[in-house]
Amino acid sequence: MAIVSTNSNISRYGRPVLAWGVALLFFFPIFWMVLTSFKTDADAVKPEFLIWFTPTLDNYLNLTENYDYWRFATNSVITSVCATLFTLVVGIPAAYAMAFNPSRATKDILMWMLSTKMLPAAAVLYPMIFLAKGIGLYDTHILVITVVSLINLPIAIWMLFTYFKEIPKDIIEAGKMDGVSTWGEVKEILIPLAWGGIASTALLIFIFCWNEAYWTVRLTTIDAATLSKLIEGNRAPEGLFFGRLSAVSTAAVGPIVVLGWFCQKQLVQGLTFGAVK
Amino acid sequence: MTNRSLPRLLQAPAVLLLLVWMLVPLSITLYFSFIRYVLNSLRKPEWTKPALSNWRGFGNYEFVLNNKDFILAIQNSLLIVCSILILTVIFGVLIAVLINKTFMGRGVVRVLLISPFFVMPAVNAVLWINMILDPVLGLQGLAVAGINEVIDGLRNLPILGGFFSMWPELEPISFRATQTSAYAVITMVTWQWTPFAVLIFMTSLQSEDQQQKEAAVLDGAGTWSQFRFLTLPHLARPIAIVVMIQAIFHLSLYAEIEIVSRGNGNKNLPYLIGEFANNNIGAASATGIFAVILANIVAIFLLRMIGKTLMD
Repeated sequence: MAIVSTNSNISRYGRPVLAWGVALLFFFPIFWMVLTSFKTDADAVKPEFLIWFTPTLDNYLNLTENYDYWRFATNSVITSVCATLFTLVVGIPAAYAMAFNPSRATKDILMWMLSTKMLPAAAVLYPMIFLAKGIGLYDTHILVITVVSLINLPIAIWMLFTYFKEIPKDIIEAGKMDGVSTWGEVKEILIPLAWGGIASTALLIFIFCWNEAYWTVRLTTIDAATLSKLIEGNRAPEGLFFGRLSAVSTAAVGPIVVLGWFCQKQLVQGLTFGAVK
Repeated sequence: MTNRSLPRLLQAPAVLLLLVWMLVPLSITLYFSFIRYVLNSLRKPEWTKPALSNWRGFGNYEFVLNNKDFILAIQNSLLIVCSILILTVIFGVLIAVLINKTFMGRGVVRVLLISPFFVMPAVNAVLWINMILDPVLGLQGLAVAGINEVIDGLRNLPILGGFFSMWPELEPISFRATQTSAYAVITMVTWQWTPFAVLIFMTSLQSEDQQQKEAAVLDGAGTWSQFRFLTLPHLARPIAIVVMIQAIFHLSLYAEIEIVSRGNGNKNLPYLIGEFANNNIGAASATGIFAVILANIVAIFLLRMIGKTLMD
């Protein structure tokens, strides 16, 4: 300890101050957006009201009137919930099979799945619109949910696979010896053990679905349009509507940011694909 | 037999869905890339329906390769992706090392730091380009105006005034303009993804071998050589992960570019495809095939690199 003490003054005061500075810097844009959301559109662009202003809730009270917020928010919830569930229903069995009965092809299948994620969305956008309009699914929930599930499926399978791989096989084997059926195996042994992994996968996929901004914008017009579409369609030029734009932005990201705060630790573990312990 | 077929059965839905998802649109793209197919044509109405009789061979590919935007778009794609990767890894490592030790309010610092990662791309872009970077009404504009005002005041000082009057008026930068919009995109995406890198590096640093570090300290290793020879090698794998996941996401960057400049002087490959697709589906499809090839080159490198470390 004596050796470290030479720079203890720096590490005792310098480190926290610097860390807080960096953290506040990174958080500042979000803080600014929330602050601006309580200003009127006129006040939001006046330097004299930069920090001291009369806060107003009007921007939030007029969310429906200005932006039809709830319709888009409902669509976002429907899309994200259904897509997350669908991804899990397809992903859990696949990841389970790969983790507990790996074959020689397992690694290649996993790699191939991840490589589909690298397929540039723009390259297949027009055929998708073409197909969707052809079978009459354009701007429907079913289409958006399917597409958003499929783009997140590879990551979900990867995450679940790394969690399942950590479960000792002996436990499953012991269950088999005792004559537990496959379904019983899944229900009684696997799900309780893998619950944490499944939950954090679900959370991350939910966040990705909520924030998805390519397909949801381009495969919808009104009926199935999500919050991403609302924001992208309403970027106000020339700052005429900074106040209300901030309010609708805050309302769009608020739920997800708060959700992320509560689950940050679990999220990281899943995202490292098991390569970082 | 059931022992073998059950796992296959369980994987089948995922594999089949992804196979269809990949192959069907990709084959259609491939088909469109070899025919003349436009959305509106008064002169040649027969081109507005996809048909084999409009076969164009490699004509669309030639058209795209001769388009001056194409090379620019590839350069821009690489500039944006590489800059973001380098910046997020450097900031990520530095911040992770900074907050690796316990201090007052570390939990709150973590929560503040991670927040940008959860902001949806559309909001990220709207927030930065309007409220922060706008040259007149954004914070940038207000700050520049404020500084100019202060300097203006100083010019009237009795003796030093002469010195300050030599200072030029500061000009705010318009990030919607052609050359600068790429930097705005890089800034906002770096802001969003640095937290992700920080979290992953931080998780990794917690498993660093402390005894090895103490031994190094006893041997007289300084802070820098500890970092260089112990911490950095320990971070090699997480850095590879961060690079891979980000490459997947940023190669298809779109919303930010659309919102910042509508691709004005700052198109990446996905954006160029979108632009062609406004009318010329054939050219858009050919560009799409180029994008697939580029993504595959990147993917082969990355997956090779990551594949080994993930499976053991």
